[in-house]
Formats: sequence, structure tokens, C-alpha cells
Amino acid sequence: MTEGNLIEVRGVTKTFGAHLAVDKLSMNVRRGEIVVLLGQTGAGKSTVLNLIMGTTRPDSGEIRVAGFDPHASFKALKGRLAVSFQTDRLLPWRTAVENVELGLLILGKSRSQARAHAREWLARVRLDGADDKYVHELSGGMRQRVSLARALAIDPEIVFLDESFSQLDHVTSRTLRRDFLQIAREFHKTCLLITHRIDDALEMADRALVLSAPAKVALEVPISDEARSNPGKIADLHARIASAMGGESQHEH
Amino acid sequence: MSVAVESDRTLSADDRAAAGLVKPLAVMVADRKNPEGRRDIFVVVVLLTAMEITSRFVPDYIMPSPVAVWNAARELFFSDPYHVAVTLVRLAVSVTIAMITGVLIGLAMGMFPSVRPYLKAIVVIDTGIPALSWMLIAVFWFKNPESRIFFILLVILLPFYALNVYEGLRALPKELVEMIESFRPSRWQVLRYLILPHIVAYIFLTTKSVIGYAIRMVIFAELVASAIGIGARMNLAQSTFRIDQVLAWTFFLVILNLLLQALVSGLEKIFLKWRAEATVR
Repeated sequence: MTEGNLIEVRGVTKTFGAHLAVDKLSMNVRRGEIVVLLGQTGAGKSTVLNLIMGTTRPDSGEIRVAGFDPHASFKALKGRLAVSFQTDRLLPWRTAVENVELGLLILGKSRSQARAHAREWLARVRLDGADDKYVHELSGGMRQRVSLARALAIDPEIVFLDESFSQLDHVTSRTLRRDFLQIAREFHKTCLLITHRIDDALEMADRALVLSAPAKVALEVPISDEARSNPGKIADLHARIASAMGGESQHEH
Repeated sequence: MSVAVESDRTLSADDRAAAGLVKPLAVMVADRKNPEGRRDIFVVVVLLTAMEITSRFVPDYIMPSPVAVWNAARELFFSDPYHVAVTLVRLAVSVTIAMITGVLIGLAMGMFPSVRPYLKAIVVIDTGIPALSWMLIAVFWFKNPESRIFFILLVILLPFYALNVYEGLRALPKELVEMIESFRPSRWQVLRYLILPHIVAYIFLTTKSVIGYAIRMVIFAELVASAIGIGARMNLAQSTFRIDQVLAWTFFLVILNLLLQALVSGLEKIFLKWRAEATVR
């Protein structure tokens, strides 16, 4: 594994029956970097995430996550990776704080330690006061915040966000993105975000990788803070990414 | 849920009614504005009136009056509490053993694909064996009456728990499994944090569905396999032509069923307090 890379994918191919889902994909994510994987529906983004998570085995090629093969050494990565999914995936029989402490309990923390830590994380995602509410008592945005807190509470080296903001309304999604970004920068998290929304990438990523179907990097774009503060450059990046994704640019001004 | 529906099909209308379609008596009486409750009370009054009228035209050993049944019930209340206690203990122990065994088999069916076909075949065959066959087999196989009763209840109730828990596991959302797997838990942690809390609702559903059936089976088993317990006392009442006592025991068993249903429903509300109340128009 190249030094500095926390995720490294080399020439990975994955087929499901006759369907080629991933085609000799190569990519990497450096420590502390926020990388966004962009692609249209069906581009194979979720398959790539599953391969990197180790829940799916590649047909060929090599994947290394924190130096381990994520499929063969599945347990070795316990506590080092966390995922926030498109839907909140909260356990309905657990309260907000009990959902956040789930990962901590799985890692072997005592109940009191896990509870105290979970409460801290709920406060960090601005949900103090909602600790003892059941899932059906929370709004969609609050649930997604609990889901983020659950992922971050175990203090993972790498955080995966699988379309985590895409089912929220525009305002909630934007607030949550900014809150997440602040936490990710503060705690120096390495993040791989999967989305089909170009604006998410432009707002959050250090680097955007555009996937074409079957999953293969069609475009790699570094996004600096300087570019983010320049509307002209951002519009240009938006157009390039949209073109690589095979669509028209509809940049949010 | 398919198996729950199948289970309901194998139970009588009384069981299904007792499983929640009919309100407990106390609720019916308390809820005076509820027209359904008033109709239920009306039916009870009509039945008692019919008993009273019939009792005037036929001998006592065919149909005693409601007053005679009430007097027999009072007599049994003071003379037979031991038999009631024995039956209740047998019922509680049998249902608990059947529940634990059925849940374990259901979990094994859901979690271990290699043994699933074999276990499923055994459970499905079990559902096809009549209760009477098990009772006769128990008499041959076991000398001890308690062993006979526990065995009979176990083999009769076990499939309901096993199949419903298995269906519960099949209904477990894939998204939740993926979520918990993302933390790379042990198999025990998956069971503890995901599967067991998920199947609690199915265990309650099954218990509510089988409780009336279990009461009938324990009485029947006592009738053929024991000298103590309500079933044995009903057998004695029948052989001494005390139909007033038979009817008194019968009313007691109906009330017992309603009380146990209310108890299970109360426990369900405590254990499943996280569930949102859904209203269907």
C-alpha cells in the first residue's frame, strides 16, 4: 500500500452473473482526505462501497483498507470503519441514545462508558434533549443526525457516507452537511462519500471521483477551498462533473 | 405475516377471538359507551336466560340453572384451589418450555441454512399430527403424569413458536442487518442487539394466539393423564353426574383465558412500548 493512502483500490473488477458492475477500478483515499464518489444511478457506487467495506469480494484486483484486505480480514477492521447510510437504519426498539451507543457496545465498551459517550455525540450533532426519544418520535433530520452520531461515536478512522443526505429536504440536508463537515475536519476523519448530487461534492470534497457505468473513474477533480470561494471556478467544476456524469449542469447558485 | 395467518387457521374461532379480537370482560363492562361491549354483554345475558329457561324443562343433569352453576362455582372455589394451582403451574411451565424450545428451533431455522430444511420438515410434520395422537403416545411413553402433560403441551405448542420466530427472522429488514454488520459484530452480538429484540413481537403474537389452545390442551391432557388438576376434576364431575360443576369449571376456564390474554397484552405493552400506535381508517 502506498504510504499515506488509507484506502487503495487497484484494478478491481466485479460481476454479478453476466452483469459487469465494476470494471478494473483503481482509486485511493489519503489519510484525512474527504473524497466524494459521484455517479448516476446504476454506475456501481454502492457496489464499490460494499467492496471497500469488505461485505462483497472482488472477482479480481486488490483492495487495501488501513493495510488490510477488507473482505479476508473482515474482523481486523472492527472499530476502524463506520457507515452512515442513505436511510437512518435506526433500531426502532432503542432510544436515540441507545442507538448511538450500539457501535460502542459492539466494540466492548461498558454500558456506562457507552452511554456517557453516546450522550456527548448526541450533543455534538445538536440533539441534546432527544436522548430518550424513540425513533418514531424523531423527525427525518433528527434520525439522520442520530445515524451520523452512531457512526462517529466509535471514533472510526474512516467514515463512509452512502447518500446520507439525499432523502432529506434541501435545508435540513445543507445544515447536516455543514455540521458533518465541521466534525470531520475537527476530528481529522478520512471520509468517502457516495452521492449523485454534484453540489454535495463541491461543498464537501477535497477530491471528486466521477464514476461511469460499469464503475470506472471517468474524471478525477481536486476541489480546493480557493475554488469553492470562487463562483466562476465552481460553476466550471460543476459543468465538468455534470458532463462526465452524462448530464447537464444545474448548479445551485 | 404468512405463518401467523397459517397458525390462526389451525386455531379455532374462540382462540382467535381470545387472542385480541374480543375485548377482555373488564374492559367491556367498563366501557359503557362501547356498543360492541354492550352487545357482548347482551349475548351473555341471553345465554344465561336460555340456560335458566331450559333448566326448568329438563333434568338437572342435562342443564342446571345459572344459580346452581354459581353455587357449584362457590363450592369449588373453597374446595379445589389446589387443583387450580396445579393446572396453572402446568400451563405456565409448559408454555414457557414450549416457548423457549420453539424460539430456539425458530432461530436455528433462520440462522443456520444447513439445518433449516431438516428442522422445518420436523416442525411441519409435527403440525400435522393430531393432539389426540400425542396424548395417546404420551400415555405409552411416559409413566409420570407431569412428564406426559409437559410432553403433550411441548409438541403441540412448539411449532407455533418455531414457525412464527422463523418468519420473524425472515421479516428482519436487510438494511438493519447491513447496518449492524458494518460494525463487524460477533454472531452473539447480532443475536443480542438485533435478532432477539426483533422477535419479541413475534413471541407475544404467538403467545396470544396459542393461550386459549394451551388451556384446552392442558385440561384435555389432565383428563386423560392425571388425577389432579382442573381436567381431572372435570372428569370426576362428569363421572358423578355433576354437570353444574362441569359448567362451573367451564366458565372459570373462559374467564381464565380472558385474564391470561389481558396479562399477556399488558406485558406486550411494556415490552413493546417503543412501537408507534398505528391507526387504520
